[in-house]
Amino acid sequence: MKKITPAAFFSTLIVCYLFWLLITGQIVSIFTGDASWQILVAGGVVSILVSLFAARFFIHEKAFRLFNPVRFFLLLFYVIIIFGWELIKANVSMAIRAFCPTKKLKPGFVKIPTKLKSEYALSMLANSITLTPGTITMDIVEQDGENYLYVHCIDAEAEDMEKAGEEVKGAMEKWIRRIWE
Amino acid sequence: MRIVIDILIGISILFAIAGVVGIIRMPDAYSRMQSSTNVTTFGVLGVLIAGILYSIIYLGDISMAVKLGVLIVFYLITSPIAGHAIARAAYRSKVPASEKTIVDKYGEDLEDE
Repeated sequence: MKKITPAAFFSTLIVCYLFWLLITGQIVSIFTGDASWQILVAGGVVSILVSLFAARFFIHEKAFRLFNPVRFFLLLFYVIIIFGWELIKANVSMAIRAFCPTKKLKPGFVKIPTKLKSEYALSMLANSITLTPGTITMDIVEQDGENYLYVHCIDAEAEDMEKAGEEVKGAMEKWIRRIWE
Repeated sequence: MRIVIDILIGISILFAIAGVVGIIRMPDAYSRMQSSTNVTTFGVLGVLIAGILYSIIYLGDISMAVKLGVLIVFYLITSPIAGHAIARAAYRSKVPASEKTIVDKYGEDLEDE
């Protein structure tokens, strides 16, 4: 069992309490000045209990990384602009593939190398790849200090795995490295 | 503004139809999952963003818009994990891939273990 560090506890607490404020709608009431103190206190108690149990699963590395405003805005920029653009491209090509019977399918399981090291960055890259239509991450392995992703691709590149990786990852890997490393 | 909301909902319906047609047409389980991500990304995100705009402009209810925003965040976090788990479980329980599959690095490396 891993020990909970205070940094891990407090960052989990902040995230929990922030989501409590967002979901109960109190974050709007605070600005208009009619926030109910009962809801605020109850949320605090629940957040403390939850973070006592969940901090060891939630935080694995440096705890306050995303509280750095530069990184946070990079994350927002990545999700909205970079990832949004990838999503639009992939969605349109996948819709064309569904409607147009003459287009050939070349499905395949490719193994792409990645230079990312940290756990958060790897899981974010894997999630981004899975969320893009046309590619699903199957597995992550570590071989000789390098991380590899197995990806099922609807339009696969059979020979050169580096090139397949470029096609699958696009601009996403560069930005994820900027956010997390 | 009403037109923007309608266009967003129209786009998401279009992509949902594309995803469903893809699910019927694709040759094997993995390609079908690829097509179903069409529904789970644009099909849902379009409706949610339209809902945010509608609740701000027509209902004047900011807290509902914030809740829909939180919904998008959790949706983006959880849906790929489910997709990944289903695909991996399908492969591990030996669901056959179609004849057209041109390369299978995952199977080659699993046999080595």
